[in-house]
Amino acid sequence: MEKVVAHTDDLAPGEMMEAEFDGRPVVICRASDGEFHAFTNICPHQGAPLSKGKLCGAPEATDQIGTYNYKNEGNILRCPWHGREFNIKDHGRMLANERQKLREYKLSVEELSVADGNIIMYK
Amino acid sequence: MSLIDTDIHERVSYEQLLPYLEQPWRRYITDCHWMQEKHMPYTQPAVAGVNRADAQVPDGRPAGSDLGFMQEQLLDSHGHEHGILTGALDPSPSSMHGWYEMATALASAYNDWQIEHWLEKDSRLYGSVHIAAQDPAAAVQEIERVGDHPKMVQILLPIDDILWGDPFYHPIYEAAEKHQLMIGMHHNEPPLYYGKWPKYFIEWHTLIPTSHMNQVTNMIFSGVFEKFPNLKLMMIEGGFTYVPFLMRKMDQQYTDLRHEVPWVKQMPSDTIRNHLCFTTQPLEELKKWEFMQIIEQMGSDQIISFSTDYPHWDYDNPERALPPRLDEDLKKKLFSENARQFYPKLR
Repeated sequence: MEKVVAHTDDLAPGEMMEAEFDGRPVVICRASDGEFHAFTNICPHQGAPLSKGKLCGAPEATDQIGTYNYKNEGNILRCPWHGREFNIKDHGRMLANERQKLREYKLSVEELSVADGNIIMYK
Repeated sequence: MSLIDTDIHERVSYEQLLPYLEQPWRRYITDCHWMQEKHMPYTQPAVAGVNRADAQVPDGRPAGSDLGFMQEQLLDSHGHEHGILTGALDPSPSSMHGWYEMATALASAYNDWQIEHWLEKDSRLYGSVHIAAQDPAAAVQEIERVGDHPKMVQILLPIDDILWGDPFYHPIYEAAEKHQLMIGMHHNEPPLYYGKWPKYFIEWHTLIPTSHMNQVTNMIFSGVFEKFPNLKLMMIEGGFTYVPFLMRKMDQQYTDLRHEVPWVKQMPSDTIRNHLCFTTQPLEELKKWEFMQIIEQMGSDQIISFSTDYPHWDYDNPERALPPRLDEDLKKKLFSENARQFYPKLR
């Protein structure tokens, strides 16, 4: 199954949008490097719509107590409710518990001249 | 399944209170820019501060400030039978460390605003009587004024740095009994760490239940429930997983130290089962067997009641927050029947 879910012009780096694929809500994210990623739009915790949250950065884990190294601007998806952090550049892995990930979907960006820029989800 | 949501936070702006305030109180807001005192050194570090990021009203007003949007996002979408409004603790008249006259005026204005704009606009919503409890005589006057409203179900007492079991506050409980009102306690800004603030919000938020434990312990050993046998207390937004510990600890202490509090005649765990109820949010992620173990240790499945805490960031989703595959009869109690039994005006 394939479906055009967005166009590259729809999202600047650090932005995200909701879409629908195969009858399910998905969130399309554009990372700081311009790459696109797609995940379930339902937080695995309590079902919040992730697209209503924020793509931001986060202080990375450190051994230096009292030190905040804010990294990954535009690549951390924070849930709109409880604020859980998911790294969209690491398959939606949760920062606080790396055993948990968001369900990730496959994407491709068409580069044919006729449909240049279409973002296609497929499975 | 029917849902009675025991903690919903509606929000007022100070400007909305102006029509309900006499002078000179009104001018302290318009001319002198009165604001609720705040103490916490940190903000709530969720995506949108204290609120769910998707709960801001589409026109930009703060979460919880618009009935229509609340109806759409919460009451209609989850099929609420009833919702209990608990305010947004701003203003929180009973939290003010002075100027109790202003606090009293704010409480009255808030009650009038709440009745007109929420309770009388949606049949599902029930409310809390706001008072300035630091002045019990004035608080009783306010309870007398609005306590018989058919949709006022409880008197709201914030948890800050006052322990409410002291006999000084008992006139409030006498008035509560008279008007079939329960007491609802909800934390505002309890400092938690030996009267100071912990270094991080995560510490403060983890230990909020300890401030609830302070109040439960104080109310019971102060003999409030022996003195007011019809009084009931809803502990709001502290969760319930601490209750089995507190029951056993208090029973043990009472067994050894009863002589210090001879006005206490019931075993504390019995008082908890007979007089208290606990809202579920914020729920830890419990497996079914863990959840059932806590209920078993409490010795009752009738003293917890579901709450969403809408529109706050640590909201609990009625469809997702409880462990899956709970018994249908138990779910019915948690989602509605326990609250209905607790609040006489809901029956």
